[in-house]
Amino acid sequence: MDLQTLILELSRFWSAQGCILQQPYDLEVGAGTMHPETFLRVLGPEPYRVAYVQPSRRPADARFGENPFRLGKHLQMQVILKPAPADVQELYRHSLAALGIDPAVHDLRFEEDNWESPTLGAWGVGWQVLLDGMEITQFTYFQQAGGIELAPVAAELTYGLERIAMFLGRRDSIYDVPWNGRVSYREVRHRDEVELSRYAFQVADVAMLERHFADWEREALRCLEAVDEAGTPDPLVVPALEATLKMSHLFNLLDARGAVAVTERVALITRVRRLAVRCAKAYLEQRQTMGFPLLANNGGAAARGGRSTGKNGHNGGAGGPASGPGREAHRRAANGSSRRAGRS
Amino acid sequence: MSYQFLLEVLCEEIPANALAPARQQLAERFAALLAEAGIEGATVRALSTVRRLVVHLAGLPQRLPDRVETVTGPPARVAFAPDGSPTQAALGFARGQGVEVGELRVLAGPKGAVVAVTRTIEGRSTVALLADAVPGLVASLHFPKTMRWGGGEHTFVRPVHRVVALFGETRLDTAVPFQLFGVASGTTTLGHRVVAPQELDVRGVAGLEGYLARLAEAGVIVDQEVRRARLAAAIEALAAEVGCQVRPDAALVAEHVELVEYPGVARGGLAERFLALPEEVLVTTLRHHQKCLVLEREGRVAPFFLAVADRPDDPEGHVVRGNEWVAGARLADAEFFFQQDRRKSLADHGAGLDRLVFHQKVGSFAQKTEAVVQLAESLARQQEEGRVESVRRAARLAKADLVTAMVGEFPELQGIVGGIYAQLDGESEAVWQAIADQYRPAGLEGPIPRGVVGAILGVADRLDTLAALFAAGEVPTGSKDPFALRRAALAVVKICAEAPLPRVALQDAAAAAVALRAGDGELVHTLLEFLREREHYYLVTVAGVSTDVAAAVLGARWGVVVEDVARARALEGVREEPIFADLAQAFKRVRHMVAKAGAPVGGARRRSLVEPAELSLAEALGTLEKQVAGEVAAGRYGEALRLLAGMAAPLDRFFTDVLVLCEDEELRQARLSLLREVEALFLGIADLSCLAAGGDCGGRA
Repeated sequence: MDLQTLILELSRFWSAQGCILQQPYDLEVGAGTMHPETFLRVLGPEPYRVAYVQPSRRPADARFGENPFRLGKHLQMQVILKPAPADVQELYRHSLAALGIDPAVHDLRFEEDNWESPTLGAWGVGWQVLLDGMEITQFTYFQQAGGIELAPVAAELTYGLERIAMFLGRRDSIYDVPWNGRVSYREVRHRDEVELSRYAFQVADVAMLERHFADWEREALRCLEAVDEAGTPDPLVVPALEATLKMSHLFNLLDARGAVAVTERVALITRVRRLAVRCAKAYLEQRQTMGFPLLANNGGAAARGGRSTGKNGHNGGAGGPASGPGREAHRRAANGSSRRAGRS
Repeated sequence: MSYQFLLEVLCEEIPANALAPARQQLAERFAALLAEAGIEGATVRALSTVRRLVVHLAGLPQRLPDRVETVTGPPARVAFAPDGSPTQAALGFARGQGVEVGELRVLAGPKGAVVAVTRTIEGRSTVALLADAVPGLVASLHFPKTMRWGGGEHTFVRPVHRVVALFGETRLDTAVPFQLFGVASGTTTLGHRVVAPQELDVRGVAGLEGYLARLAEAGVIVDQEVRRARLAAAIEALAAEVGCQVRPDAALVAEHVELVEYPGVARGGLAERFLALPEEVLVTTLRHHQKCLVLEREGRVAPFFLAVADRPDDPEGHVVRGNEWVAGARLADAEFFFQQDRRKSLADHGAGLDRLVFHQKVGSFAQKTEAVVQLAESLARQQEEGRVESVRRAARLAKADLVTAMVGEFPELQGIVGGIYAQLDGESEAVWQAIADQYRPAGLEGPIPRGVVGAILGVADRLDTLAALFAAGEVPTGSKDPFALRRAALAVVKICAEAPLPRVALQDAAAAAVALRAGDGELVHTLLEFLREREHYYLVTVAGVSTDVAAAVLGARWGVVVEDVARARALEGVREEPIFADLAQAFKRVRHMVAKAGAPVGGARRRSLVEPAELSLAEALGTLEKQVAGEVAAGRYGEALRLLAGMAAPLDRFFTDVLVLCEDEELRQARLSLLREVEALFLGIADLSCLAAGGDCGGRA
C-alpha cells in the first residue's frame, strides 16, 4: 500500500466513524497535540470527532536525508474521539482491517506508554500499539491539557504514516516508500529533508530566532489581552495560540541549533507553557459564554458515535505523540527535558 | 460444605509493572475481608493477565457465622418491683426490643444488675457480603499511575469493561450482583483479543480449574505461573533448535509474562552484518526497542533473536517477518549511529564536551574532565606510580561518549560505548576497560571496575562530582537526592573497600577533590561526614557488622576503607565473647575519665605512680603497646583485639583499687596520663565504648 492510499483509507474509515476530516494546520508544529483541533477541542464538555494528517516538525531529528528511519518532518494521521467511546480499542482494530491488516493473524499489542508535554501543560495515559513488534500507533487517553482536567476524556490516536507504510511494504528506507504508484517518497521529499537539516543545524539565524521568540510571546499576550469596542476583555484565542505555537517551533529550532543552554531550557519552556495554559483557559471561557454550542446541537449524536458537524471556523489539532520517527525525540524537543540532565 | 467465589475484572491493557503489586494487594485485601467477617480457613488466590485481574476464594461458608447480640436495658432494681413483677420500665424495654417481658434476662453490669435481651442474629449470606465489599475493595487498589475515562467519573489503572462475579459450591453458578465503575457484574467475559475475541459465558464452570480451562480454550492463560513456565519452555526449545542458548535476562522474561494473555515465542534471524556491531550495542538495541531475547552460541551472539508474542502461533508467518523487519530496521539505525560516530576518534568527540552542561552552577563536562584528570592523576601518584599515564588518558576520554550519537540514542550505554570506541581507537586495555567500567558499581550488588585504573577513575570521577555539587549547594537532604550523591559516595566506599587500592585515605582524596573545585575546609568537613555515613552504611549492609561495631570502628579512626572493614570484621568476630563486654565497660570508664579531665597538664610522670594496681596496669600497657602496634601494622586486627583483652583484668583492678582523682595533683596527672595512653592504645583499633553493652560512645559524649 502506498502512502497516499494509506492516508485515503484511514481518512475514509474515520470519516465513516463520524469524524470531521480536517486539513493539516498551516503552521509548523512539532506534534499535533499543540494544534487547536486537538489542544482546544479536547477542553470542556463538547463532543468532537476529527481526523487529519499533520506534518510534524522535529528539527533535532533531521538527518540530512541520510538516515533511512529519521526525518525532520514526518506525517502523522491524528484522530480525536471525544468522548472516547467504550469500544475505542475495537474501532482502532477495525481501522487496521481497513488497511488490509487482519488482526486475527497478527500479534497486536497495547503496551503502556504515557505521554506528557510540559510545554502544553498536558498529559495522558495510554499505550504504544505494536503490530508484530512494530510501533504503529500512539494511543492516548487525554487526562489534562493546558493545566485543565479533562472531562469527558478524549482518545487520541496517532498513526506514524511513514513507519506504517515502510512496515507494510517491508521497505528498508523511508525514502523507498512509494508515495503513489509512480513517485517515491524520495522524489517528493528527500531534497527538502536535506535542506531543512542544513537549515536547522547550520544556517538558522540564532539571534533572529531568539528575537522572534520574544516577539511572538508579546503578540500572544496582546491577543490574550485584547478587548472589544466597549473595552471588555475579549481574548483572541486562536491567534494567541498560533503565536504560542510559533514560539514552540522557534524553541525547537534553537534547540536543534544547539543554542539552548540547559540553564535556559526550563525557563523557555515555562514561557511557552504559561501562554498555552492561558489560551486553554480563555478558550474554555469563550465556549462557556457561547453556551457550549456543540453540546446543545450535536452532543447526543457524537457521543453515541454518530456524526458531529462542528463549524468549519477553526482548525484542528495536530497529532500528539508520534509513533514513527521519534516520539522520544518529541519528548526531548517539545518538553525540552534533556536526557543528559543529571547524568553525572 | 464449602463454597467458592470467582472474580474477574476485564480491563483494557494494564501496564506490566502494575500487575504483580495488584495481585499482592488483592490477595491481602480479600484475606483481610474474610478475617474481618469471621471466616476462617478460606484460601485466596490472585491471578492476572495483561487484561484481567482475577481472584478466587475457596473454603467459604454459604452464610457468615451467626452472631449473638445482647442489648441491655434499665437496672434490675428499676425493672422489677420488690415482688419480682415487671414495672413499666421493664415492659417498655421489652416492647422496644420486640420481645415478651418473660424473655428478659438479668445480667450483671458494671453498675449492678441490669435487664437484657439476648438474641441470635443469623449470619448474612456470603454472596451479600461479597456484593457489598468487592466494589470498594477493587476501587481501593493502589497503582503506580491511574487514569480517568468516559465522563471522567471513575479512576482506575485502565478502563474496566466487564466484571464476572460467581459463587457456588462445586460449580460457580450463582451470580454475585454489584456495580464496579458503572459496570454491572455478570457471568460473561471475552476471550483473547485476537485469537478468540468472542463473548464467553463462564457461569456454571467447575470452580477455578473449570474457569481456567474455559479461558484457555479462548486463548487466555490466566495463571501467570503457567505462562511463566510455558514461556521458559518455549524459549529454551526455540534456542535449542538452532543449537543456541538464550542469554539470560530474567527481568525481561518476567516482564513478558505480564505483557500477554497467551505467550508465544517467535525466532527471527539477524543479517550477519549486524554481528559486526559491538555486542552491547546489538543486545541493547534488541532489548531496549524490541524487548527481544538474544541467542548465543559458545558465548558469542548468534544471528538469531527471540520475540515474545501474545498468541500461541504464527499462522501466516507475520509475527516472525514483522519482528525480523523491525529488528533489522533498529539495528540498521544503530549501525548508522555507529558508523557516524566512528568517523571521529573518541578523543575528537571529547571536543564537544564544552557544550554539554554538567550542572548549571558548576560548568560543562569539559571542565569536569579537567578536574577529574587532575584528581585521578594525584590519586594515581599516591597509589600506583606506574599507571599514571593510563589513568590520565582514561580520565581524559571518560566522558567523551556522552556526545556520541550512540549514547544519545541509548543513554544506558554510557561508558560502555566509550570503552568500545576507545578499544577500536587502539587505546590500551587498561584505558578502555577503565572507561567502560567508570559507572561501576551500579549499586551495592554490582561489580566494581575490573582494574586499578578503572578503580582510580571511578573514585576520582565521583569524588569530583560530590565536591563540585556540594560546592554548588546541592547537598542531599532527607529524601531529596536528585543527583544520586549518596549512591556516588557509596560507590566510592565500595571501590575503596573492594578494589586493589591498598591505601586511599578518603581524607586526603576528599581534600584534593574539594580544592580542585575551590571549596574551603568546611566543605571538606561536610563531604567527609557524608562519606563517613556512607561507609557506616557499607559496613553494616555489605560487610555485615552490627551498627555498634561500625560505630566503634569508625569512631576510633576511619578513611582507609579496606582497613576499616578489616577492623570491623575482626571486632564483629570477637564482640560476643564475655571478656569484650567487660573490656567495653572498662574502656567506657577510661573515656569518661579522660574526657572529664580535659587537656593534659605537662609534667605528668609515670614514676609518680605508687599503687600496685596502677603499676600493674602500666606494666600491662608497656608490654602490650608494642605487640598491639605490631599486629595492627600487619593488619591482624583479631590478634590485636585478643591482646587488648589482656587489659581487662588490670583495668578492672585499677578502677577497684585506685582513686584517680586524688588530692595529690602530681599523682592525679600521672594517673590520667596513664589512662590517656590506654585510650590511645584502644583507639588504634576501635572505640569499644560504642559497643551496645557499653552504652553510648562514652568518649564522644
